[in-house]
Amino acid sequence: MSVGHIARTFEAAEIATVVIAVKSFETRMRMMALPRVLLTPELMGRPLGNPFDKARQKNILEQALALLETATQNGTILDLA
Amino acid sequence: MENSEPKESFEAFTKSFFYGTRSDLSFKFLSDLSPEAASSFLQDLFRQVVDAIDTNDLTRLKLQMVAGQVAGYREQKNFDYDQGPFCLPRAPLSDLKISLLTSSGHFVENDDPRPLGVENMTQAEAESRVFDFLKEEPFLSEIPFDTDVSRLHVRHGGYDIRAAQKDPNVSFPFEPLKALKAEGLFSDLTPAAYSFVGACSQKRLLKKTLPGWVERMKAAKADAVVLVPV
Repeated sequence: MSVGHIARTFEAAEIATVVIAVKSFETRMRMMALPRVLLTPELMGRPLGNPFDKARQKNILEQALALLETATQNGTILDLA
Repeated sequence: MENSEPKESFEAFTKSFFYGTRSDLSFKFLSDLSPEAASSFLQDLFRQVVDAIDTNDLTRLKLQMVAGQVAGYREQKNFDYDQGPFCLPRAPLSDLKISLLTSSGHFVENDDPRPLGVENMTQAEAESRVFDFLKEEPFLSEIPFDTDVSRLHVRHGGYDIRAAQKDPNVSFPFEPLKALKAEGLFSDLTPAAYSFVGACSQKRLLKKTLPGWVERMKAAKADAVVLVPV
């Protein structure tokens, strides 16, 4: 919830945001009407995947950052599951 | 001889994983499942453990864990908004200055935020006092992007930090972000990334804290921020 509030506040202040969250948080993310969310099929506490999986971490970040260019409206959610 | 000790119900067993006698932050979601759902989850998990051993493949075991966590958190609906703000970035990604802010509870060695006024709080104490954290205003730690990974610490009473202790990038992805900047995916990074303990007073965060965090992001000239909840 904390990060949802931050996303909403930053966006209202014209700072664009993208959230990377585990699939478990999907309900929370949707109910908070966030601008851009990337959902990952990972365990809680590891939204970027397993420790030391550098390729995976980088790939997730790339997909999240791409949403800054492709999303055109609030509620854009990309689900990697 | 008859055992006189009171028997524990299955429901009490599942509840004990949520900051109880069997507290386990990877399995605390069991307390949010019905006894039937928790029973089914555990039975399937045991099957997957044996299959994983036989096949030397953890994929399905991991998916079983994720499915349990998804089921446990599905009904948590604290805030409900019909609509929200949307800000288009001021330029293409390649021209943007990016920042990172996570609720993972990372901080730099010798810059401990001293939560609840406690010096060198342990992870065990953070877990045992998580409900105190939920009454407090959060503190935002600054972590310069040139910080050596060996100087990063993590402490958070709300999630299983073991993976983040091994590799902070699982929840505080500052190294892959630096790699993408070096490749030219975006223009620049703010001087520092930021982290705080997401288990905090939501009311204080909204009413008191966030205006100052907006000013800090603007002072750092961040065009866009990658946010990571845990």
